[in-house]
Amino acid sequence: MGRLEGEEAPLGMTAAPAAAATAEDGGGGRSRSSRAAAAAARISPWLLGAALAALPLIGPGPNLIRLLFVTLVWVTASVAWNLLGGFGGQVSFGFAVFYGLGAYAAAVALNAGLDPVSSCLLAAGVATVASLAIGLPTFRLKGPYFAIATIGVSEAVRVVMTNVSATGGASGYRVMERGAFHQLQHFYSALGLAAGAVAISVLVRRSRLGLALVAVREDEDAAADLGVNPLRAKLLAHAIAAALTGAAGGLHARYAAYVNPQGEFAFAISVAILLMPIIGGVGTIWGPVIGACIYGLVHDEIIAAFPQLHLLIYGSLLIVIVLFEPAGIVGLLRRLVRAGDRRGRQGGRGGQEGQDGRGRAHAAAAP
Amino acid sequence: MPPPLLRVERLTKTFAGLAALQDVSFELERGGIYGLIGPNGAGKTTLLAILAGALRPTAGRVVFEERDLTGMPAFAAVRHGIVRTHQVPRPFRTLSVLDNVEVGIRFGRGKAAAEEAGPAAGSAAMRILERVGLTHHARAVAGTLSVGDQKRLELARAIAARPSLLLCDEVCSGLTAPETESVLRLLREIRQAGTTILYVEHDLKAIMAVCDRVIVMDHGQKLAEGTPAEVQRDPAVVEAYIGGEVGKGDPAGTAGAAGAGGAAGTGEA
Repeated sequence: MGRLEGEEAPLGMTAAPAAAATAEDGGGGRSRSSRAAAAAARISPWLLGAALAALPLIGPGPNLIRLLFVTLVWVTASVAWNLLGGFGGQVSFGFAVFYGLGAYAAAVALNAGLDPVSSCLLAAGVATVASLAIGLPTFRLKGPYFAIATIGVSEAVRVVMTNVSATGGASGYRVMERGAFHQLQHFYSALGLAAGAVAISVLVRRSRLGLALVAVREDEDAAADLGVNPLRAKLLAHAIAAALTGAAGGLHARYAAYVNPQGEFAFAISVAILLMPIIGGVGTIWGPVIGACIYGLVHDEIIAAFPQLHLLIYGSLLIVIVLFEPAGIVGLLRRLVRAGDRRGRQGGRGGQEGQDGRGRAHAAAAP
Repeated sequence: MPPPLLRVERLTKTFAGLAALQDVSFELERGGIYGLIGPNGAGKTTLLAILAGALRPTAGRVVFEERDLTGMPAFAAVRHGIVRTHQVPRPFRTLSVLDNVEVGIRFGRGKAAAEEAGPAAGSAAMRILERVGLTHHARAVAGTLSVGDQKRLELARAIAARPSLLLCDEVCSGLTAPETESVLRLLREIRQAGTTILYVEHDLKAIMAVCDRVIVMDHGQKLAEGTPAEVQRDPAVVEAYIGGEVGKGDPAGTAGAAGAGGAAGTGEA
């Protein structure tokens, strides 16, 4: 019975719907270093957000602002992809469709005289509708078959957009917005959208939908046998992810004032959107953010330094991560914290091995 | 006479021309534990899969609580009160044991109540773990449980969805004798709480110890139906299936199991 009372404590925690942090550490109390790491993890997002919001005050050059703007657009798309791909386990190679449709929708809306906010909402709406149209047939497929189908759909959309003359076909489409160009306005809208994406990701993870997605990822049939409607969960996650990605594409189109099929619908966009969460840690809250920051900040440098080789570099990186640390950078950090714990407790207690295995198994699921 | 809980009418399922089920009909009354036995390939698991909505029958009807549920998808069958467990446990491996149960609570038939209760849903999950004896593993990651505990978790998740008909697929296979005994006790408790159970099992001792009635299948057809004692005396059953086993060692074995079951029963009372 004493055992049972001991278990009461975590109840409040696990009662939080998806109970993300439930099995964080298997059993046993948390050590000082892991508590410190948890505290740091809790504070750092706020610090980062505040720092970014305050950054323009110290007057960085337009180049840095541009780089940060692009990175924030990537953060949004990366966090969005993770909703479906990370929580739900549905690996899509087709997110360029939502990014591109959002970009085009916003471009057309802006040229028609719509204000930026409405244009962005329209971009999100168009991408959402597309996500349902694509999701209904492709979610009948599972695993790699689904992934391949999304490649097909995304290529088809690119070819179609290349041939739509209303938006300039292959030569692209220019956005003519009246009024002066305020770079900081763009920056803050991207910051707001990225923060919103992270907030949505947290909410989804804690919600009933989040629990359904993780259950579907682990075993779709078993989830259905407990009352989860897998198609509904996937379509919902797909729709939310598409809306965010479409809005991100819309923001970028407005900033660049130009969209073209080879750019917005490129397969490389789809790959980038999938690569970022994998680098950072799929199925976690902060992994996709970290991955997108790294990708956004180094992408231009890598292309400049290795114009022919950059795809090879990304490909090799992907293989290394999947082989050695499937939970990405977040998984690596967790492992380091645990290693620190062990060193701190050394001598006193044994039997940490099983706990380590548990923690690692869970690393794929918890934020 | 109240209408039966479940009426299976002339259920047939063919796979590429091969009949896995042929014209199977039976009825389940509320509140019993029904055994479903038969040799490998008799169609037991196929029947279970159809009842749970995982497979669509080629012909025939499944009428549950006076409603035609034939061909209904699995998640919808759950909402009507039919929940299954799996022969080979299928936990959500990276989720904690408690969260596994949580899925059943929040998506099963009690989901409306669970949403109203909010955080209290967590303690509901804990109470279910208590019933199956898994509280000490509540926070463990499900993939790390032993097979015996994974089988218990299968049951815990299933009852969390509040079934009125629980389909159990070999919940005792691969368990030690004491583990089997505790699972059988659990099945009796679940029945006592008002859930009807259809129990597929290879272990005849377990079936005979716990079931009120037994349905025997062979080659996709229903061979016999009756109380455990009647079924064991049925010449067709003895000849077609149990023949060797019952003829030789089983009467003694059954008596032993029944004795143990009786002892467990008085222990509870």
